[in-house]
Amino acid sequence: MAVSRREVLLGSAGALGAASFSFPAPAIAQSEPIKIGCLAAITGPSSAPTVGFNRGVNFAVDAINGSGGVKGRKIELVMRDTQGDPTKAVNATQELISQAKVHAIWGPLNSGEALATTPIMARAKMPDLHPCVVESLIDPAKYPNAFRIAPSNNQWDDAVRNYCLKILKVKKVAVIGDTTGYGVTAVGASVAAFKKDGAEVVYQANVDSTQPDMTPDMLRAKNAGAEAIVVWSVSTGMEARMFNTRAAMNWDVPFVGHPSMASGELAGLVAKPENWKKVYAIGYKSCSYDGAGKLPQRSEDLVARLAKANVVLSDTLLWWVAGGIDCIELIAKAVAESGSTDSTGIIKYWNTLSSYPGYFGNYRFSPTEHNGYLTEEIVMSEASTAKNGTFALAPGYT
Amino acid sequence: MLASILASGLAAGAIYALVGVTYNTMFSTSRVMSFTAGQLAMLGGVFGSMFTLKMGLPIVVGFLLTLLCCAIIGIITEFVAVRPVLKSLDQHLYVLSTLAVALMIQQVAAIKWGTEPQPFPRIVGIGEGILDEKFWLPVAACAITIVGLEYLYRRTLVGRAFLAIAEDNFAARALGLPERNLRVASYALAGVIGGIAGFSGGQLLLAFFANGALLNFYGFVPVALGGLGNNRGAIIGGLALGLFQQAANFLVGGIFSSVAVFTLFIVVLLAAPQGLFGASTARRV
Repeated sequence: MAVSRREVLLGSAGALGAASFSFPAPAIAQSEPIKIGCLAAITGPSSAPTVGFNRGVNFAVDAINGSGGVKGRKIELVMRDTQGDPTKAVNATQELISQAKVHAIWGPLNSGEALATTPIMARAKMPDLHPCVVESLIDPAKYPNAFRIAPSNNQWDDAVRNYCLKILKVKKVAVIGDTTGYGVTAVGASVAAFKKDGAEVVYQANVDSTQPDMTPDMLRAKNAGAEAIVVWSVSTGMEARMFNTRAAMNWDVPFVGHPSMASGELAGLVAKPENWKKVYAIGYKSCSYDGAGKLPQRSEDLVARLAKANVVLSDTLLWWVAGGIDCIELIAKAVAESGSTDSTGIIKYWNTLSSYPGYFGNYRFSPTEHNGYLTEEIVMSEASTAKNGTFALAPGYT
Repeated sequence: MLASILASGLAAGAIYALVGVTYNTMFSTSRVMSFTAGQLAMLGGVFGSMFTLKMGLPIVVGFLLTLLCCAIIGIITEFVAVRPVLKSLDQHLYVLSTLAVALMIQQVAAIKWGTEPQPFPRIVGIGEGILDEKFWLPVAACAITIVGLEYLYRRTLVGRAFLAIAEDNFAARALGLPERNLRVASYALAGVIGGIAGFSGGQLLLAFFANGALLNFYGFVPVALGGLGNNRGAIIGGLALGLFQQAANFLVGGIFSSVAVFTLFIVVLLAAPQGLFGASTARRV
């Protein structure tokens, strides 16, 4: 039988086609690594949180891969240094999506970068977990792929207000912030919320953080009858001046507010260690120890595991490390439960989490609520009591 | 309240005045308003904290090293940002070149020193409350600097040479004065004065990279108010600015105090464009 060239070509094409049909494509997908993109400010002035988050991320990845991976698939981190720069974060996001072809992204880790990258990730339907506080970053209608695993600004505000009104039981507060965009916005929102809850805001001010003497504002707050001073600033210099001025005025009013009031740098900036007492900064239940020096049991177990793995906590915050672990485990769990790294499946799984027990906190997501952290898990900490990245609970908690 | 206004107002005013004198010292020999003046004061605080707290050197050694480093930065400014643009002073290119150097100093300080304010040590250890050394030390430093400058300008040959250059550059050169060397020396002297401002005000302002921009502006105000090149005017203008600013902080507070300062600044310049103590110079034709 004569075989024509056309028949040979057809036969070859058919054989190739058959070979490709019979090739186990799902098997490839099931064995390839789960690629997680990380947008982290590894270097630059805002790198401190990244150092902590990365310790948790690496710890979780090592733990999961060490125990065989997610249904046999290893996790592969694709880390990009954004240096805290939104432009670099945008470039890195596009590269992670289109070239590295990651399956989910953790980060960015600060709001400035996230404001720039969130719309890009939304267009690509890229599952994204981040810890950034700006409210507008979470909008399930506009950004159905973005989920927050840390408190938002409003949640911080609620926690501070609740502590002042319900635990300290003060009625008159002074609200002071710096003159940055954040300070002005935060003071405005805080004042409005205090008034709405029936408290009297006897003094409010936005102060230039380089102002060398805080006596004028502190004196006005005192003369107005403030029973607590609420602080919304990230400037440790300004905060230290306020604490020193309070001491010079022999005034024992409590300061309540931004987590930066617990920054270790304040130890060198206050004139005397006792000037830093009666300062209550935003903290978290999972990372706060009680009068006996004990963390919640789940956190105690985590700290023991971290110590065993030689993860250092003395120069960072436990919540950063715990948050890093939670993000990796949330992605791994989503892949395991949805059965693939398909973005729709990952997002759909996260939307079903009505109560997910993480290390940093319990998360609750739904199709209409992507702010996963629970406000009741935010507490006030004694600012000057840092111990291995944890803080003592402020007075009033049982 | 009055005591507090006087204490912190005079202290901040003395720092502003010293930065104003730094501007004038650089201006007198080069006719250039170098916007590195505030950064030199910022570096006074940063170097001071670095040498004494971070490196643990004795205060006196730290102080001298701080002045030396600031003098070197002053000389570098002259070489990098001033000398290349002297031939085209009328185009005011120095604004760009000195601002660029100022920005570089600030960014390097932020990267190497950090973006958070750092503590500054107590130097003398005398005084509490409104008599704390952080308030009187800048005033004392300002007074000593003025006395020293007066002595330099009136009693020494080098000082008189500075004055000659400032008065008439061409005539001084015609008389054989080493104009270029004297200009470099005046930039080193400006660095020292800026360093004194930052070191003496370190406890008040802390060692913070962002102080440079603040002092650049608040140090310029007394120069404009007191008259360009007039040290006496800068001192009075600086102290008045500090007192007015602190009084405004008490009376109107926060952001509004800055508005009050700028308003006064504009009103004074509208009333006396050459500054309160400046005189419009006649040009010989």
